[in-house]
Amino acid sequence: MDANTSLHPTIDPVDAGAGALLRVAGLTKRYGDEAALADVTFEVRAGEVLGLIGPNGAGKTTLLETVAGLVPTDAGSVDWRGAPLPRARRRDFMLYMPDGIRPYRDQTVAWVLSFFAGVYRQPTDHVATTIAALELASVLGKRVHSLSKGFNRRLLLALALIAPHPLVLMDEPFDGFDLRQSRAIAAVLRRTAAAGRTFVLAIHQLGDAERVCDRFILLSQGRLRGEGTLDRLRATTRLPAAHLEEIFLALT
Amino acid sequence: MLARAPLRPLLAKELREIVSGRALWIMLLLLCPLVGYSFVQAVSLYAEASAGAQGSPVLSRSLSPFDGILVPSFGAFYIGVTLLFPFVAIRALGQEKESGALRLLVQLPYPAPVLIGGKLIAVAVAWVICSVPALSALVAWRLLGGHLAPVETLTLVLGHLLYGLLVGAIALFAAAVTESAATAAIVALAVTIGSWVLDFTLAGRPGLAAWIAQLSLTQALHGFEQGVLSAGLVLGIAVAIAAFAALAAVWLPPGVTVRTKLLRSAGCIVVTAAVLGGVSQVRLAIDVTEDRRNSFAVADERLLVTLAGPLTVTIHLAPEDPRYVDVQRAVFAKLSRVLPDLTIRIVAPHSFAASGSDERYGEIEYAYGSRRDVSRSTSPREILPLIYGLAGVSPPAGAAGDDYPGHPLVTDATPMLAWFCAALPLAIVLAWLIVRRPPRVDPALIKRTTQEEGHATL
Repeated sequence: MDANTSLHPTIDPVDAGAGALLRVAGLTKRYGDEAALADVTFEVRAGEVLGLIGPNGAGKTTLLETVAGLVPTDAGSVDWRGAPLPRARRRDFMLYMPDGIRPYRDQTVAWVLSFFAGVYRQPTDHVATTIAALELASVLGKRVHSLSKGFNRRLLLALALIAPHPLVLMDEPFDGFDLRQSRAIAAVLRRTAAAGRTFVLAIHQLGDAERVCDRFILLSQGRLRGEGTLDRLRATTRLPAAHLEEIFLALT
Repeated sequence: MLARAPLRPLLAKELREIVSGRALWIMLLLLCPLVGYSFVQAVSLYAEASAGAQGSPVLSRSLSPFDGILVPSFGAFYIGVTLLFPFVAIRALGQEKESGALRLLVQLPYPAPVLIGGKLIAVAVAWVICSVPALSALVAWRLLGGHLAPVETLTLVLGHLLYGLLVGAIALFAAAVTESAATAAIVALAVTIGSWVLDFTLAGRPGLAAWIAQLSLTQALHGFEQGVLSAGLVLGIAVAIAAFAALAAVWLPPGVTVRTKLLRSAGCIVVTAAVLGGVSQVRLAIDVTEDRRNSFAVADERLLVTLAGPLTVTIHLAPEDPRYVDVQRAVFAKLSRVLPDLTIRIVAPHSFAASGSDERYGEIEYAYGSRRDVSRSTSPREILPLIYGLAGVSPPAGAAGDDYPGHPLVTDATPMLAWFCAALPLAIVLAWLIVRRPPRVDPALIKRTTQEEGHATL
């Protein structure tokens, strides 16, 4: 590890930019004596795709769930555009899409999409665009429980894209996709981010993360090990040609 | 910040989810023979009694379809609701917990009480669907030529609806508190079956046991089954339903600490206790039975209402003594609904067995103003004149027109078993298959998606 790299890094003013959409400070979550998250601080900027990188058990899911307000925290704060964002109001600004769920298993894909569109008053055009982008048309009449892992993942992505929240937190969005599919989904996310929405993606496949994310948060054993763009992380680790995998190994 | 979300999609989702589940339809299928057999047995006994009463107006007067047909038929439905309905209600929340969809549900732009309210409405609809076999028994009775009094019938149905909603609210609370549907089912059944057992074992016993027995859910139905529509009871059950729903809403959000949930639950319980305390003071109760079994003759009631002075009754009987049960049902339950100022005190040994050493045991003292009298009678024919004497008024003239003719009917309901054991189950299976069919995908959505895909290809 670089001697200048702190275990509790502060936000680099150059790297962070002026206006953070979301600021998480000192987030701590304990399960008994074990700290699942220890004093995690980072920022999310509007319109970026932020990758939350770490091995299984690093605390990625816990971090997303605490930020979304679905798991109570022991310490820390979450600010939205500089103002404190209470737990109960987080669902107004962000949507967390968990990993490994099959929502409304007995219903059809079209019904689940229509339900979400109805709740958020989204027009048919928006739903149709999302279905086309995620290539869900062939399974619209299928029940959720009969979907393959990949199509279930596409359904979850579609729900996240149909919802109007400016910030979307997604847990393992590429799990279940092959390389070609991952690239196609990454392109959809990039296009959506370019249109103004912000994504925080928990990814354990570093190749996928490198392909889609603007910046990265490196998490290991509940602690923040590094944060920044790939170039910034390369500079921090003094590995100018390194891939994310080598950087992660160097920082953890 | 997101705008207020429409309720329609949420309600549609809850209804679709609950009718998609197997639990509801399996319960319906099980209820068909259960209610059908009870109904046929009830009709058989009623017909037997009616045959014996032919030519005897006095015996005919004792034949009421409310007691003979309705209460036993709905009694079978009550058993089904007690044992099976918790599974139906738990599905409304437990399925989402187990599939992970709950984590999406709590992020939707609805407050937790609205989410639970939507589920409670779905549970109410499920109860209505489950009541089809019992309601069809009423239709079958009419088809056989039987008599139904609308008000007492509706009161009984209302009682069962409130009981079903109470069981549903408890099941929702159990599903909110526990991690899995299986654990929720154990908790809910522990309450419903436990209180059922409580009612069997402790009812009629003195002291604390009697008070605990009052907490039984089954007690909630007794008033309705006796044909009394009590505002206090209806409000009390409604408050209990709201309280369990509120507790479910407290425990629904996963991001709240257990300590906070416990504190909010404590607040909820305190508020509920206070409201229930107020509701218990509501004494308005109406005898809805056609035979006015819970009321004195009209002339007596008209006179009793005018007795403004306080009447204090001191009963030297143990609560489990059959004489106490008799006088309570035949006199004091009726008096308490018409006398504006009535106080009843029970002065009795701890148990019926210990009553032998008390010479005053069995006495009932009446005090109206400065006048007092004592009687050992449990009959209104002796007690009412005694009260009139204490109040210094003359007993009313004979109550003409009060006589209930009775509704004897000699018939055979055995052919109705074909409805309950074949036709109705078949109709239920067909309905299940129709409901389970995937809904048609909106053609407009398909058209727009095809257009979007065309643009993407170009």
